[in-house]
Amino acid sequence: MSITSDILRGHTEAIILAHLLEQDSYGYQINKDIMKKTDNRYELKEATLYSAFRRLEQAGYIRTYWGDETVGARRRYYSITEEGRQAYQSYKRDWEEAKSTIDQLLK
Amino acid sequence: MKEKIRKHINGLFTEAPKTRKAMELKEEMIQNTIEKYEDLVSEGYQEADALQNVIDSIGDVTELFEDLKDKSLFTLPEKDRKKKAGMTAAAVGMYIFAGAVFVACRVINDMYFYMGSEMGMLGFALAAVLCIPPTCMLVYAAHMYPVYNKKEESLVEVYKEAAHASSQEKAVKRSISLIIWMVTLLVYFLLSFFTMRWELTWLMIFVGGCAQAILNLVFSLRHDS
Repeated sequence: MSITSDILRGHTEAIILAHLLEQDSYGYQINKDIMKKTDNRYELKEATLYSAFRRLEQAGYIRTYWGDETVGARRRYYSITEEGRQAYQSYKRDWEEAKSTIDQLLK
Repeated sequence: MKEKIRKHINGLFTEAPKTRKAMELKEEMIQNTIEKYEDLVSEGYQEADALQNVIDSIGDVTELFEDLKDKSLFTLPEKDRKKKAGMTAAAVGMYIFAGAVFVACRVINDMYFYMGSEMGMLGFALAAVLCIPPTCMLVYAAHMYPVYNKKEESLVEVYKEAAHASSQEKAVKRSISLIIWMVTLLVYFLLSFFTMRWELTWLMIFVGGCAQAILNLVFSLRHDS
């Protein structure tokens, strides 16, 4: 397991929130987006993704609803709440700080 | 292939608690996995490879189940289950008691009153009356399932409600047929001992069979409509 995938897994929740800032989405779509943005190098295990959804839901950062697809199975969408936006902002600040600290230390 | 995905995920969820959350998570996983599978196939993957790929990418789901331990929808709460078991046991006990009263009356009749059958008659009537409360209890116990609460909206709701309704219907049917056969047996013995015409009374068993057939018919007709 490379450092990158470990770190990615540790930030699953923030990645989901960042994705939901743009638009409502569902599990596979988010994972597809991660793959696209990382040139197919990284993908979250579904179990990781779903447990992150549950934690975010419990914290009140996201809400869920079932889509109204007429063909095939219905998708379970997620949307970000106001608390979720705030959590994302503070998470991002923390990350910037951590990133610059680690950069400093590894220089 | 889609059926295989569904089956695989159903298999993963056999250990999961039977809650609404678990059902929803399962539906969500099935939908996402099928969509991924279809994408892989349209990208040119062989069906078998695509299936292996989506199954591998699910990961370990057991950790997810910890969060899902919620109020269960399908199993009766412990308290109700105990109450139901207690009622059934009491009902069976009362049937046995009714039988004992009847036999006792016959024995007393035969031992002390050599003529007339008043005691025997009394025993029959007593036993019949004694059978009423346990029968009522069994019917009540069969209906003791909690009524499914419909205030939460979701995709799986319709399915869950259907499953709940059919399991309740089955329980009712089971208890009715139990009553049919118990009553048949009781009437058979009562008639036999009372009339002592064993060569005819065995026909009672067919009455039980007819009642059972009618019950099956009623339930299947109700199901069709």
